[in-house]
Parts: sequence; C-alpha cells; structure tokens
Amino acid sequence: MSFDIPSIAQYTPEATVFIGVILVFMLDVAGIRSRAIIGGATSIFLLLAFLQVLADLGSWPLQGLSTLPAGLLGTQNGPVIFTNFGLIFQGIFLLSALLVALASVSEADGEEVPTFYALLSLAALGMLFVAISADLIFLLLSVEITGIATYVMVGYTRKDRRAVEAAMKFYIIGALSTAISFFGASLLYGAYGTTSLTAFRALPANSSLALVGFGMVAVGLGFKATLVPFHMWAVDVYDGAPASVSAFLAAGSKKMGLFGIFIVFVAAVRIFASAQGFALYLALGALAVITMTVGNVMALEQTTMKRMLAYSSIAQAGYMLLGIAIDTPAALAGATLQITADVLMKAGAFIVVGAAVGLGVGPLITDWRGVGHSRPGIGASFAIMLLSLAGMPLTLGFVGKFYLFFAAVEAGGYFTLLAIAGLLNSALSVFYYARILRYMYMPESTGSATVGAHPLSHSSLGVGNAPAAPAWGSVRDEIRGTGSARWATVVGIALLLLVLGIYPTPIIGAMNSAAQQFLTLGL
Amino acid sequence: MIDYFWYAFLVPLSTAIGFVVLGLGGTFFKKGGGFIAVIAEGAALVFGVFFAYQESLSSTLYHDTSFVWFALPDGTSFVMGTLVSPLGALMLLVVNIVGFLVVLYSMEYMAHEEGLPRYYAEMMLFLTAMNGLVLADNYLEFILMWELVGLCSYLLIGFFWKKPEAASAAKKAFLVTRVGDVLLFVGVFIFFTSLGGIVDPSITTSPYPGQVCSSAGINWACAGFTFAPPNADSNVVFLSANSVASVTARDPNLMTLAGLLILGGAAGKSAQFPLHTWLPDAMEGPTTVSALIHAATMVAAGVFLLAITSIYIGFTPTAALVVLAIGGFTSLFAGTMGLVARDIKRVIAYSTMSQLGYMVMAVGAASLVAIGPGAAMFHLFTHAFFKALLFLSAGSIIHALGTQDLFAMGGLLRKMPVTGYTMLIGALALSGIPPFSGFFSKDGLLSLTWTAAQHYPGALVFFLMALVGVLLTALYIFRLWFLAFSGTEARESSAHPAHEPSWVMRAPLVTLAGLTLVAGFLPLLSGFSHLLPGVQWGAFGYASSGSGFSFSQTDLFLGLVSLGLALTGLLTAYALWGNGRVFRLADESPLKGLHTVLVRKYYFDEAYDGLAHGGVLGIARAFDWFDRYVIDGTVHAFEDLFRIASERGRRIQTGLVSSYVSWVVFGLIVLVFFFLYALPYLTSAWGGG
Repeated sequence: MSFDIPSIAQYTPEATVFIGVILVFMLDVAGIRSRAIIGGATSIFLLLAFLQVLADLGSWPLQGLSTLPAGLLGTQNGPVIFTNFGLIFQGIFLLSALLVALASVSEADGEEVPTFYALLSLAALGMLFVAISADLIFLLLSVEITGIATYVMVGYTRKDRRAVEAAMKFYIIGALSTAISFFGASLLYGAYGTTSLTAFRALPANSSLALVGFGMVAVGLGFKATLVPFHMWAVDVYDGAPASVSAFLAAGSKKMGLFGIFIVFVAAVRIFASAQGFALYLALGALAVITMTVGNVMALEQTTMKRMLAYSSIAQAGYMLLGIAIDTPAALAGATLQITADVLMKAGAFIVVGAAVGLGVGPLITDWRGVGHSRPGIGASFAIMLLSLAGMPLTLGFVGKFYLFFAAVEAGGYFTLLAIAGLLNSALSVFYYARILRYMYMPESTGSATVGAHPLSHSSLGVGNAPAAPAWGSVRDEIRGTGSARWATVVGIALLLLVLGIYPTPIIGAMNSAAQQFLTLGL
Repeated sequence: MIDYFWYAFLVPLSTAIGFVVLGLGGTFFKKGGGFIAVIAEGAALVFGVFFAYQESLSSTLYHDTSFVWFALPDGTSFVMGTLVSPLGALMLLVVNIVGFLVVLYSMEYMAHEEGLPRYYAEMMLFLTAMNGLVLADNYLEFILMWELVGLCSYLLIGFFWKKPEAASAAKKAFLVTRVGDVLLFVGVFIFFTSLGGIVDPSITTSPYPGQVCSSAGINWACAGFTFAPPNADSNVVFLSANSVASVTARDPNLMTLAGLLILGGAAGKSAQFPLHTWLPDAMEGPTTVSALIHAATMVAAGVFLLAITSIYIGFTPTAALVVLAIGGFTSLFAGTMGLVARDIKRVIAYSTMSQLGYMVMAVGAASLVAIGPGAAMFHLFTHAFFKALLFLSAGSIIHALGTQDLFAMGGLLRKMPVTGYTMLIGALALSGIPPFSGFFSKDGLLSLTWTAAQHYPGALVFFLMALVGVLLTALYIFRLWFLAFSGTEARESSAHPAHEPSWVMRAPLVTLAGLTLVAGFLPLLSGFSHLLPGVQWGAFGYASSGSGFSFSQTDLFLGLVSLGLALTGLLTAYALWGNGRVFRLADESPLKGLHTVLVRKYYFDEAYDGLAHGGVLGIARAFDWFDRYVIDGTVHAFEDLFRIASERGRRIQTGLVSSYVSWVVFGLIVLVFFFLYALPYLTSAWGGG
C-alpha cells in the first residue's frame, strides 16, 4: 500500500467553515461583538462553503469550480468517502446553518454573540464530517462534535433559566445516548473486527451480537433524529431554547441523525438482506410509523406554538425515516427531498416564532389571531411554510411526500401499508396546521370556516379595493419589528418553498441519481 | 440558422411579468399602472409579431420538449413544451394585436373605475394564459392554460363585483364553461389512454425532421399519427386522410366519443349550443373585457382547440359531422336572438356566438374533407379585428352616453363621427360585404361547407342554416347601427352630451378599422398563407377545398348568393330602422309570441334552472346527507379519538429527565429484544422474507 501525500483540496468546504470559526474567535478577542459583523462574517463563510458544495456537485453554473480531485467520488479513503449523496447532505446541513446565521443577525447584541456563531459554525463543521464518513467511529465522533456544540448553544444565553434547564436535559439524555451508541459500536467491532461501514456491507450475517450492536447505534442516532421513544427531550429543548437554536436543532442537527441512520442501516440492511432483511425493514417501518403518529397526535392538543412545532418536527422525522425503511432509490430521493423541504420549513417556522416577539405576538397559538392581516409579509410566509408542512401541492413539502409515498406504492406489498400510514398521518397533521391558518386569516368574531364577505372579494388578487389588501405601511412596520435580515430570510424561505414546489425538477434529478449511486455503490 | 423559436416563451413571459408587477405593486402606480400593462403587452405584441413573421417564413413546426416540469419516480414526465405551429403563430397575432389595442383603450375607458390594479393584473394574466395556450405542445399544458383563461374570465366578468348581476354573470360563465371543461377532461383522458399510452413502435420519431419525441407525455406532434408535413410549395397543409384513418383504425366509436367530448369543451368556451347561455350575461363585465373575450381570448380558445385537434389527432367522420352541425345550428340560432336584444353589447354578443358557429362549422367541414382548418382560422383572424372594433365602438358610445339601451340612442353619427364610421366598417365586415375582411373569410368557409355537403348530404341542412344566418347577421347588426347612429337626435336624452373620446380610445378604433379593411387581403402574401393550412387563393374569394380544386363556378355562385343575402339583410334593416325609424312589433301581431320566445332566449335559462333544481339539487341533498352523517360522523369520531389520545399523551411528557431516561432505556430494550428474539422468529416464519 503506497502512501501518497493526501490531497486536501476536497476539504475546501470544511476548511472554509473552520476559517470562519477562527475569524469569529479573533473578532471576539478584538472586542467586536456586533451581530451585524460577526453574523455577517459567519454567513459569508457558510455561504462560500455552501456554494463550494454546489460546485462539487456540479450544479449549474458553478460546475467549473469543483475542487474534488478526479476519481475521488465513491472511493473510500481511510474513514472518509465522498459521494454525491453525502455532498447533497453537506449542502443541506450548510443551508440550515446559513439560514439560522442569517436570521439571527437581527437578534439583540450581547457578549455571547461570538460564542453563538462560533458554536453554530463548529456544529456545521461536525455535520460536514458526518456527511463524508465511511467509518462508524468517525461518524459517531463527528456527531459528537455537533452534539457538544449544540448542548452549549441551547443554554448560551445563560440568563434564561428555562434555556439552561433545557440545555441540562439535552446534555444528560445526549450523553446517555452517545454512551449507548459507542457501546453498540464496540459490539460491532467485536463481531466483525472492523468499524468500516463499507466493509460491513460485504460481510455475512453471522452473529446476534451484530444485531444488538446495530440496535444500540440506532438509539444514539435516533436520539438526534428524535425518533420515538427517544424524542422526549426534543419537546422541552425546542421549547426552552432560543428560537434560532431550536431552528438549528430541528433543521440541521436532526437531519444529521437521519443521515447517520441512513448510512448505518444501508449497511445493516445489506448485511442481513439474505436472512433477516425483511424483518429489519419491518422494524424500521414500524419505527417510522410510530414516530409520525406519536408526533402528529401529540401536536394536536398543544397550546404553545413552539411545542406544536416540536411535535410536528418529530412527526416529520417519521416521514423521512421511510426513505431507509423502503430502501429504494426513489424512496431515498423522496426522503432527501422531504429533508430539504423540512430544513426550509422548520428553520423558517422557528425563525418566524422567534421573530414573533418583535411583532408583539405571544407564545400561544391563539396569540396568532389576525396576524395574517396585520402582518401580511410574515403572515403569508408562515402560511406557506405551514401549508408546505401539511404537504399541500405547489409547495416543496408536497413534492417530498408525494415522492416518498409514490416510492412506497411502487415498492409494493407491505410498503404500500407504509404509504397508507403516511397519508393518514398527513391528513391528521392538516388538522393542527389548518387551525393556525384559521386563527391567522379568519375574521376574529366568528373564528369558524364561514367567510363573511362576498365570495368574489376573496377571489380577487388581493390588490386594489379588495378587503384583504396588504397595507404597505404594515409591511414596513413588520420589517422594523423583526429586523430586515430575519424578515428577508423568512420571505426568502417561503419563496423558495413555492418556487421549488412548482418547479422541483432540477433538485429531483440530482437527488434521484445521487440516491441511486448511494444504494448501488459502497456508501 | 439560429432558432429564434427557442425564445418563444418570451411572449407569455412579458405579460406574466406585467401580471406579477401589477398584482403585487399595482397600487404604487398612478392610474392603476395602466402604462405598465401597455408596455408589457406591447412587448408581447412585438415578440408575437416577430415569431409569427418567422413562422410565416419557415412554416415548419418548431417543437421543443426540453423543459420537463415534473418527473415521477417511475420515469413518467410532464413536459411543458413549446410548439410554434402555423395556427399558433396566427393566434399569436390575433391575441396580441387585439390585446394591445384593448389594453391601450382601457387607459381611458376604465380610468374612473375603482380597483384598477386588479383589472390590469387580471388582464395581464388573461393574456399570459392565452399566449401560453397557443404555444402549448400537449394537452396537459393546454388544459392548464385553458383553466387559467377560464379563471381570468370569471374574475374579469365579475370585475364590478359589488353589482349582483356582474357577480352572478361571472359565476354563470364559470359554471357553464366548467361543464364543457369536464367533458374536455374526459375526452383528453380517452386520447391519453388510447393514444398517448400506446407506444407505437413504428413511430418513435416525430413526423417532422429533426425533432425527437419523448416517449412519455402526450405531445401532439408525436401522438403516433402520420400526417403530411406542411407543403410549402402549394401553401396547403394536406392532412392527408391518413390522420383520420389512423384514429379510426384504433376504435372508431371511442374516437368518436373522444371527439365529441372535445367538442363539448370547445362548446363551453366558445359558447356554442347548448352551452351558450353564459355569453349574453357575460356582458356585465367591462366592455374592454367583452372585447378581449369575444375577439381574441376566451371564445377563440374553443375554436383553436377544435382546430388543433382536427390537425393533430383528427375527428372521425361522425364526430366531424356533429361539429359541423353544432356550428351551423348555432350560427342561425344565435342570430335570431340577436334580432330582438335591446342592449347594444348583447346584440354584439349574439353576433359573436353566431360567428363562432361559422368557425366551428368550418372546422367540422374541413375535417370531413380532410384538409386543414385554415378557413375557420382565417375567419377567426378577421373576426377578431372587426369584433374588437364593434365592441370598442360600443364602448365608446357607452362611455359617452352612460347607457347601453339601443332604443335610447339615435342620431349619434353627427356627434361621434369617428366612432360611427369605424363601427360602420365593423358592421359591413361582419355582414360579409366586400371588400371588407368578413366577406372573404365567410365566403371561404361557406364554400368549404358546400364542398363537404357534396360528400355528406346531411351537412346540407346546416349549410342552409348558415346561409340564413348570413341574412340575419346583416339584419341585426345594421339594426344596431341604424338605431344608434341614424336619425337626427337621441330618443332619450342622456345625462352626458355625446362626444368623441380622446385619441387613447380613438387610436385603437381607427387601427382596428384599418386592419378590418386589409385583413381580407393578407392571404395574398404567400408568407401569411403559410399560417392558414387548407386555404387556397381562388380567383374569387378564398376557396377552401380539397386538393385539385381551383376556381369554379360554384364558388362564384356561392359568393354572389351570400353577398345577395347580406345586402338583403342590410336593406331590410334600413327599411325598418334606417333614418331614425324605429320598428316595433305591434302587440296584436302574430309574431309577438315568437318575439317573446326570442327575448327570453328560448327559455334556456329557465330550463337549466329547472334541471338544476329538480335533478341536481335532489342528488346534492342525498350527498349532503351522506356527507353530514356518514363522512363527518366518522371524521368527528376520529377527531375525538385523537384529541383524547393527545390529551392523555401529554401526561407522559413529564418534564423530568429521569422519566425521559427511562423511556430511552425502554426503547433500547424493545429494540434489542426485537433484534434478538422477534427478528429471528419473524425471519423463520417468513422463510427469509
């Protein structure tokens, strides 16, 4: 085996993010703690890394800027492997961090500002490594980089008792889960003498030790992905943490857990494919259905917005898990689409909730009464996010679910049941999303589904003399209330959800081929 | 050669940008942003004329399917393609020339209305949808645009939404056309399953050189038919009977059914019997909207649908005969109602119905003799200009007087000469008096129908109906003109003195009058005739017949007959209403009963109301009961179940870390137990799955 001097050009995104972290620390030392400067700098570095990932993926018009050495894609290099699938997830992770970084520029200045941005970038860095890992230990360590950063982020404001309490809970459960998953990894090493995920795929299913090992790893990753019953921390933490941190946890860190489950269980399913594969699908499918059902049912009766969003986020994790529970390229592509949609929807929704304070809207769902009319920009954007979460057509949320369920039906047999369970759950979820829309848009007096005005007045385009005309003054007010960066992020997310929902073909194509490669290649 | 046509999407894009700008920010602009609309539609006009010109030079199909809108996991994809065809290019001219003039005219006509940004934004969307429709390359895309057209017509007819009549007219237009839309969906579905679904191994490439068919989707040009490519030499597209034959070969009855369903869709949009009832009521919308709907957009879409279907898929002889019959009958049927209407706009509306009848008839006739539907499209082209002209002149009168009642007008020619003379040109063209454009196009389609009637004697009845329609057309339109303009003074004094509008409104009138004069001669240009598959330049008028046909005495004779009928109608109108005379039926006249029937529009509204009350409402009640007690009951039961589950479930979420830890451990135990014990058991039970 020859030892070449390893090229490091492929690590440009990671290096970019890391330089961003160092810069933030240096600015901190220099006494610069303005959110505009530090947040702006972090956002720029995250954006550069994001664009680099897009370039590596060969996306138009950046395809010429790829830094990946030729032939690197798909070949394992120590604990690392670059795949298109992993690169797509790097993009997804960076997108979630970028959105949170951009939106929190509008929050109050303070001495903790550099800490927050440094931790955010570090967490993103850990996630980037997760996306390229080919080894179980490397994977779990990378997860831990992100984990430790996020434990601190939850409590970073220090003065907020609830946030500190949430951070403690998060940390304790996190430590327990990590311990369990490392225990599982050691069992797997004992069973096979290797921790390489690619090697696992070629090994025979010879011991129940391995099964227990995979089960324990699933606990650690399922904790991150908020699968039931490892989800309980999520509600308290999403509720207690600052909204921007909740946005990052729901949009970013949860997706990292799911990606980990994908790559570990692609291997596990292959190991046991001949003998017990189908029962493993059954277990994953049951986990997915239980997760989405518990999330949706619990969300029904929540009274505060953040807890409702936390449960809806748990339910979404169930849909995404279907990607590996069905294990076809189309399903995996659907899960990736759904994950992309969820990054936008969940980050957006939590950012909106964080901004609500500035708009004078309280934490309860009922506090959102009439917001659709009084805050037209934020209201419409939030409505689009909720519709997308509910899976309404013309939004990206619909495309993701449609693809997932279509793939399930295509796989046939037992998998059709998963599609039915998913559809029923979607129907159930409309119940609580629509309730918020009703509060936001229905006349206050009735609060019921009857529209008082003439039907035509609502079918007009909302301009001119129509009663629902957006007053431009109130848009200016709401920009002042939320801060321009946050407002622009929210509106941008909503537009992206619509545009990609109407014309998803470019990203569908990329995800389809990436999922195909991922399932057939090594990782 | 650079393919300009790749940029054809710029036509709908221009107005789409106008729609977005006006829809979101219309309130920022003075006068509702009318100038933005004029600029956007002006750009669309420039692009539209450019592409039509290019198409007239090449006269080939440009077909681009590279834009995949949505691909399903199983490989099926929905293509939003572009098809620049001769017919589409002709429609680009019609839509954008009329659209531009109407939008320009709106600047003054609508200036005092409330909600102008909404008006302009909806007009822009209307034009976008129509431009998209004529460039669509498959039925799915077509239906999308078709529905947008329907939506916009609903919004614009109901523009004065505070007026109950306008709101209900909008609803009526939407619902009646919806009946047609449903038929169209089913028809397209039959085409899709029986034609698009079959991958015919012998036809994997488009009949046009250099174009590739996508295996999925339902592309017109690739639907699996052979038809001769446009023959540039003879300026005729011979749809060699192949297309009809190949359709018939599949399953004649099914194809006939599909053709009739398509006709149903077209009848809804183009207000053909028996789905015509919405059109007179739609006059509640602003006059500019009426002009646009009647000349260039909505009703033209129906005829265009028939024309493209006849070219790309073809009607079976039975279906074609029904198309011809519906059109011929409507041309007469609508004319009779036009004779008695008092409202100036309604008279013109009935004339639209009648003229559309001619076009539909001509499509049917062209299908019967297996040639292109150029004659119908040529009439659509000339009709667009003189109909827009008539509506905008009427708008000018309404703008000046504030009334739409013909019997309140009179003697306007001296006060509004420009309006009067331009409207006269429109009326002459509509009646089919040479040298105005209507003569040539109407003569062309009459002679085509005559040819068809030679082969299918059943068509003769409807040909005769159409001939009587020519007489009625001249009669009712000159009744209108004489009542409004002849005489010395108005029969009822109006609040406002009659006056000519400013140049913003006069310019479109004069332009349209000019176009009405020249449009009839355009096929003399060989380029323009490329856009009219199936029309030949005969020595007298435009003879649209099959191959090997040129000047004949029959054609000359037909032209003279129709001219004679039109002049008879004109002179009768002069005798009854000319020079300020007002002819009314005496109460004891035996014709009074007939008059009432016509005024009540043959009681169609009442009949449909009865049908709705008796039939539909009964069914609706049954469904309502089912919905209320069975479906809602089930839903509520589940709702309660889940609410209770949710309420109970909250107790598990204690907020205590220790309980969370125990749940994690519980989950771990379950997983390990499952993997160790249940999994091997299940595996052995299923024998390895």
